[in-house]
Amino acid sequence: MRMQRTAYRVPRNSVKRDGRKAEIRSKEGSRAFVVPEVMAWSGVAEYVSELLRPGTVLAISGELGAGKTTFIQALTKTLGIKKVPPSPTFSLMRSYRLPKTFNGIRRIIHVDAYRFDDERELVVLDLDEELADGSSVLVIEWPEKMPKWLKKKKADLVQMEIA
Amino acid sequence: MAVISKHKSAGFKVLGIETSCDETSVALLEVRGTTQPPARGTRYAVQLLHHETATQIPIHRRYGGVVPEVAARTHIAEVIKLLERADIFASEKQGFDAIAVTQGPGLATALRVGIEAARTLAYLTDVPIVGVNHLEGHLASAWLVPENREHWRFPVLVLLVSGGHSELVLMKDFCSYKVVGRTRDDASGEAFDKTAKLMGLSYPGGPILSRYAAKGNPEAYGLPRPMIHDPSLDMSFSGLKTAVRNLIHDLGPKVPEVLPDLCASIQAAIVDVLVNKTSRAIMAYKPKCLAVVGGVSANPHLQAELRKAASEHPGLIMLEPPKGFYTDNAAMIAAAGAWRLAQGKKDDWKKIDAKPELDL
Repeated sequence: MRMQRTAYRVPRNSVKRDGRKAEIRSKEGSRAFVVPEVMAWSGVAEYVSELLRPGTVLAISGELGAGKTTFIQALTKTLGIKKVPPSPTFSLMRSYRLPKTFNGIRRIIHVDAYRFDDERELVVLDLDEELADGSSVLVIEWPEKMPKWLKKKKADLVQMEIA
Repeated sequence: MAVISKHKSAGFKVLGIETSCDETSVALLEVRGTTQPPARGTRYAVQLLHHETATQIPIHRRYGGVVPEVAARTHIAEVIKLLERADIFASEKQGFDAIAVTQGPGLATALRVGIEAARTLAYLTDVPIVGVNHLEGHLASAWLVPENREHWRFPVLVLLVSGGHSELVLMKDFCSYKVVGRTRDDASGEAFDKTAKLMGLSYPGGPILSRYAAKGNPEAYGLPRPMIHDPSLDMSFSGLKTAVRNLIHDLGPKVPEVLPDLCASIQAAIVDVLVNKTSRAIMAYKPKCLAVVGGVSANPHLQAELRKAASEHPGLIMLEPPKGFYTDNAAMIAAAGAWRLAQGKKDDWKKIDAKPELDL
């Protein structure tokens, strides 16, 4: 292992830097959380999981590195899914089965629109077809890339912003 | 098995088709010395007779603005065009004896295009068809290099690193794999691309970052090596992304002038993690050969550091990175198809379907 002489060291464990604010808006109203560090997402995940029903579209916004995928990992863990979802940036879409049906939900579809330049590109994902099974929830990272499609889903939308 | 196509050379030809995500690719691989499916345990010479990959534009960008059915038809037309250029339909010229098609993992709609073309051909020609795991294809890309086939001894430890995957796979035999480590979040290729984006570099960020890194000081910035002390062989790169984000915020307008040092430090952090985990895997599993495959395997710093790590284990042979086959392609699918056929595996054209969540 190499020894490092560093001219600059990125400050570690700086609460101000590691901490995040999460705001969730749904039919139940608006709720904000302060998340002090990476391990503390489970409380938010539990709150969000109760908002999910078949057909729900959970749209998660946040900059690169804000914690979107990390939150989703906490969410799938809360739902009992054993597989830890890696980032779907390159694959665009992945899906995970719940071991036990929860609120009528049997599957989480995890989409990452980061690589889209134009909303029409999401045609290749066939999202309406995917949701038509009546027991799936769609979680989207970078929802800003697909505003028109999300407008149609207003009734089923739960919005989350991580900063 | 009726072979409708007549061929001049005495070899078993595998037609490979790859459409799992961004690339559309077709290849014809000849296994020399046999006109029957390759047999288990026999060493063969192989030759790539044809290999073509369609435009590098990501699949979701190619057909934007059209309805799914039209997009699918356009994609199939593209596959057919590639097949025509491989002279597949001119039976006096080449022909093929088996078809290997990517079954997964990937995007269901994209996978189906290749699978539908493959099934139709299998039905028309009555040749065996075999579904291939895309990741297995990457493992087979190393086998396409002739020198590697000379040195090939099991167990082979493979570091598979691309935009979408970062895994350490132990190959105990052809078609016998154990994933011994993988990324918990971002793939290493993704780490390159996203940190490049944070620095304002254009697409494709990874290779551009690497070029700047060659001119910079890798120790200029102390970036974290996530999970490097974790005893498991798993990896993580999202913490590095966050650290880079914070660092760029701190540097503010200075970023352009320190770009080479920044890039060098980021590259060093990613490579350190990959090499560290690979070294641990070598000590744990004592493979006879080490291979690195996937888009990120083209990175010269990664290649150099892996060679150094491999040289610390006398008797371990480091196989050559598969130049020309780093990114997704059909040649590796044809090769993996040959492996499967040699193990007696084959599929039913009536039943074969996409498996978007397929794992090794």
